[in-house]
Amino acid sequence: MTRWPAIVVLAAFASIPLWMENLYFLHILVVTGIFIIAAMSLNLLLGFTGQLSLGHVAFFGIGAYASALVSLGFEVHLTEDFAVGIGPKPVWLAMALATAVAGLCGFAIGKIAFKVRGAYFVIVSISFAEVVRLVAVNWVELTQGPMALNNIPALKLGVPGLIEISFLRKPAYYYLVLAAAAVSYVIIRRLVNSQAGRAMIALRENEPLAVSVGIDVTRYLVLATVVSAAMAGAAGALYAHYVRIVDPDIFLFIYTVTMVIMVITGGKGTFAGPIVGGVIFGSVPEVLRALAIQPELQWIAFGLLMIGIVFLLPQGIVPAVQGWWQSRGKTPPQGGPPIEAGSGAQQ
Amino acid sequence: MSTERILSIIAAVGLLLTAGPAPAQDAIKIGVSQPLTGAFAASGNYVAQGAKIAEDDINKAGGVLGRKIQLIVEDNKSNPTEAVATAEKLIQKDKVPVLMGAWSSTLTLAVMPKLVEYEVPMLVETSSSGKITTSGNPWIFRISPTSEMEAKAFAPLVKTLGIKKAELLGTNNDFGLGAMQEFEKMLKAAGVEIGAKETMDPKAVDFSAQLAKIKASGGDTLFVTTDVSQATLILKQAKEQQLKSRIITTGGSVSPDQLIAQAGEAANGSLHLVFFTPWFPDAVKNPDLATKFVKEWNARGHNVGGLTEGFRGYDGITTIVAAIKAAGTVEPKAIQKALWNVKVHGINGDIAFIKQGPAGQESAQNVPSVYLIKIDNGKVVKM
Amino acid sequence: MLDQFLQHCLNALMLGGTYALLGIGLTLIFGIMRVVNFTHGELYAFGAYMMYALVMRLGIDFFAALVLAMALGIVLGGAIELTLLRPLRSSDIDITMLVMIGAWIVLQNSEQLAWTGVAQSIANPFPAEPLVFGSLSVSWNRVFVLLVAMFLISATYFLVNGTKLGRAMRATFQDRETAALMGVRIERVHTATFALGSGLAAASGALLGPIFVVTPTMGDLAATKAFAIVILGGLGNVVGATVGGFILAFAEEIGVAYISSGYRDAMGFLLIILILLVRPTGLIAQKERIS
Repeated sequence: MTRWPAIVVLAAFASIPLWMENLYFLHILVVTGIFIIAAMSLNLLLGFTGQLSLGHVAFFGIGAYASALVSLGFEVHLTEDFAVGIGPKPVWLAMALATAVAGLCGFAIGKIAFKVRGAYFVIVSISFAEVVRLVAVNWVELTQGPMALNNIPALKLGVPGLIEISFLRKPAYYYLVLAAAAVSYVIIRRLVNSQAGRAMIALRENEPLAVSVGIDVTRYLVLATVVSAAMAGAAGALYAHYVRIVDPDIFLFIYTVTMVIMVITGGKGTFAGPIVGGVIFGSVPEVLRALAIQPELQWIAFGLLMIGIVFLLPQGIVPAVQGWWQSRGKTPPQGGPPIEAGSGAQQ
Repeated sequence: MSTERILSIIAAVGLLLTAGPAPAQDAIKIGVSQPLTGAFAASGNYVAQGAKIAEDDINKAGGVLGRKIQLIVEDNKSNPTEAVATAEKLIQKDKVPVLMGAWSSTLTLAVMPKLVEYEVPMLVETSSSGKITTSGNPWIFRISPTSEMEAKAFAPLVKTLGIKKAELLGTNNDFGLGAMQEFEKMLKAAGVEIGAKETMDPKAVDFSAQLAKIKASGGDTLFVTTDVSQATLILKQAKEQQLKSRIITTGGSVSPDQLIAQAGEAANGSLHLVFFTPWFPDAVKNPDLATKFVKEWNARGHNVGGLTEGFRGYDGITTIVAAIKAAGTVEPKAIQKALWNVKVHGINGDIAFIKQGPAGQESAQNVPSVYLIKIDNGKVVKM
Repeated sequence: MLDQFLQHCLNALMLGGTYALLGIGLTLIFGIMRVVNFTHGELYAFGAYMMYALVMRLGIDFFAALVLAMALGIVLGGAIELTLLRPLRSSDIDITMLVMIGAWIVLQNSEQLAWTGVAQSIANPFPAEPLVFGSLSVSWNRVFVLLVAMFLISATYFLVNGTKLGRAMRATFQDRETAALMGVRIERVHTATFALGSGLAAASGALLGPIFVVTPTMGDLAATKAFAIVILGGLGNVVGATVGGFILAFAEEIGVAYISSGYRDAMGFLLIILILLVRPTGLIAQKERIS
C-alpha cells in the first residue's frame, strides 16, 4: 500500500501558514496540534492496548513543568542544608529532558498501575493525576505552586553567531508542532506494526488468551505506557514553550477530557482517529465562540455534540468514513483502518 | 479520510473563524476577556456587567473621538489556555487596540506574552499577584492593588485593633497564597506573633479541620483570603466550632452583602477589606460616581452582592477610554503611551499609574484606596 | 491536645456520614453497572439546586423538600439511564464514559444558565448555635445530616440485601447471562440501579446544600471523593462504601491536623493508590481484580 495520502495531508497542513494570514487561526492549529500529539499518545494506551487511562494529563503536565523548570533553572532544598538545583539550560535540551522524565514516570506508573485493570485502573489513573496536581500546587519551592512559572523562554535553535531560528512567533512554532506530530505519528505506526504492537493488540482483544500463549502482559503494557507518557510529555513541553507560562491549571481535568474526546470520536485504535477527532474538537469551541451565543449555551452545544457523535458513530469518525468508502467499493486510503487481532495484514 | 475532504473542512472552518462580528458603524472596539463560565463564573460576570454599564454611560455621553465604543466580551472559561485563545481572537480577528482582563492572576499571566508579541496594551482590573507588574511587561496597566499594597494599607490598623497573635487561612491559589505571604510579612514587621497558617483547596466546602487547628492555636485574629462562597462557609463553620477570634477577610472580592444574606448571624463581628464601599459613598473620593453606579447597577437588577467586583469593570473601561481620548487615535502604541499619563476619577478613587518592575520594561500600577468595614447586627458599619 | 484531637474526630464523624452517602450511590452504579458515571456529581448538585428551588423559591417545607428533591433525583437518574445508557448497553466502557462526560457538561452548564454562577444558600430550620459538649462543638444541622445519612444507608443496605430487587441487582452484578436466563429483567435492573444511585447522590446534595452553599461546580469535588470512596470500599459494596466514607473523612481530618492542610484532598488519592497496591480489591470487597 502506498503512503502518498498521508504525505499529501502532511503537505496540505504544511502549506497552511503560506496562505493563511490570520494568526488567530494558526494559533488554534498550534494548540490543537499540541493536543493531537497528546491524543495520539493516549490512543496508544486506550486504542491499541485497550487501557482506559484518565490520568494522561499528568504526563502532559509533568513534561510541561520539567521543560519549564530546566529552561528556567531551579533550586530546591531537600533538607535544611542540602539543596539541589541546576542553572537555566537551552530549551531544546529542556524539551528532550522533559520527554525523558515523562517517560520515566510512565515506567514507574506503568509498573504500579497495571496490577489492576478495567474500572480500578481508571480510578488509579485519575488518582495519580490528582496527586501530581496537588504536588505541583503545594511544592511551591520547586514549582512556584499557583504563582506560576512565567517568562519561560522560547525555543531557539542554531549556531550562535551563524544562524539562529527563533520559535517565538507563530509560523515557526506551527512547523515545529507539525514536525513533532508527524514524528509521533510515525513512531506510533512503527510501534503498532511491530511485534510489540501485535502483542499489545492481542492484549486488548483477549488478555487471558494472550497470557496463555506466553505473552508477557506487564512488559508490553509498561512499554506502551513509557512511549505514551514520553510522547505526552513532549506535547507538554511544546505547550510550555508556546504559552510560556505553566501553573497547576495544566492538570485540569478538562484537558484529559479533551484528549479522550479526540481519541474516541475520531476512532480509537486507528492512526488517523486522533488527528480527525483533534481537528474537529479542537476547532469546535472556537467555532462556537465565533457564533457569539451565550457562553453556557456554547458549552451545552459542545456537550450535545459529543453525545451526538458517540451515538451516531460509536466506533468513531474514521472507521465510519472508511466503512462508507468500502461499501462503495473503493479501498480505504492510508489513514489506517482499525487493527483487528489476527488480521496480520501489514498496513 | 480523503485529502479533499480534510481540506474542505479546514476551508469551511477557516471561513467561519475569519468572519467577524458586525461592527457597529466604525465603533471603537475594546476587548474584554473574563471567566464567564467555569470556577470563576460569578465574578467574571460581575466585572462584565460593570464594564457594560460603563460602555452605556460613555456612549450616552457621546462616546470618544466622535465614535461610540463597543465592548467585545469573550469567555475565557476560567482556563489559561482559553485565556490565550480569547486574546488571540480579540487581537487578531477583532483587531481590538486595547484589552481588559483577564480576572485571575493565572489567566492574566497567560495572556501577557501575547501582549508583547502583538504590542497591544491590557488593563488589569482584578488580579492581585505581584508577578504581573514585575515581569518586565510594558503593556500591562493594573488598577487593582497587589496583595502587598493591601497589606501595607492595613498596617496602621494593627495597633488600632490591638492584634497580638494572628492566624492565616487562604485558598490554595495565587490569590490566597500571595495574600497570606504579604500579610504575614506585614504582621511580623508590626510585631505580631503568627500562629497557624492553613490553606484549603479552592473547591473545598468543609474547613472544620483547618478551623479546629486554628482554634487550638489560640490567636486573637484570623485573616481569611478567598472568594465569597468559601468565606461564607468559613464564617458559618467558625461559629459552629466556636472560634472566638475576630475574622478579617482580605482581597476585596468578598461581598459583605452576600455574607449577611447567606451567613446570617455568623457574619456579625467580622471585618472586611474592600476597595469599594457602596454603603458609604461619602467615604470614597468620588461619591457622585459611586452613587450613580450603584443606582444603575440596581436598576439593571444585578445581584447586589456583585458590587464589590463589578465596579472594577467600570473603572477599567473608563480608564481605557480616557487614554483613547488623550491619545487622539486608536493606535495600540499610542493608547499605551497615553495610559501612562492618564488621571481618571474612578469609583474606587483616583486612578493614576506608577512604574513597577525591572528598569526599562516597567509595567504600570495604580495605587488604589483600601477600606475596612465591619458587619454588625446584620448591617455594614464603618470601622 | 486531647480536646483538639477529639474535635477532629467529631468533625470526621459528621463528615464521614455525608461522604458515605455519596459513596454508596456511586458504588451501585460504578460497581454494578461498570459505568464511569461522570454525572454523579451533577446529580449531587441537582439535589442541592432542587432543594434551593423548593425551599427558597417555592416556599415548601424543608423536610418535605428533602424527600421531593431525592425523588426528583431518582427521576432524573432514570431518565439519563433510559436515554443515554440503554442504547449503548453493548458498548465499551469508554464510550459510555464519554457520553456521561457530555451529559456532565450539559447538566452543569444548564444549571449555570438557570441559576447563574453565584453561590446560593438554603435556609434551614436548625438553630444557628452549635451543640456544645465541654470544649467540643458540632452544629445541629450536621447531626441531622448524619442521622438521615445513616438511615438512608441502612435502607439501601436492606434494599440490596433483603428485597427481590436487591437480589436481582446482585445477580446481575455477579453473572449477567445467568441472571438473564433465570428471568431477571436486566434492563429494568439497570434503570432501577442507576436511578437509585442517582437518587442517593441527589439526597446527599439536598442534605448538604443547606450546610454549605449551592454552586454549579459543587459536584466536581464531590464526585472525585465519591470515586475515592468507592475504590476504598470495593466496587458494589454498600458496607464497604460506608466504611470507606468514614475512613476518608478521618484521613482528611487527621491529615490536615497533623500533616498539612495543602495536601488534604490528596489523602483520598494517596490512600487509593496505597490500597490498590496492597489489596487491589479494596479494603472490604470480594473479588474482581482483572475485569
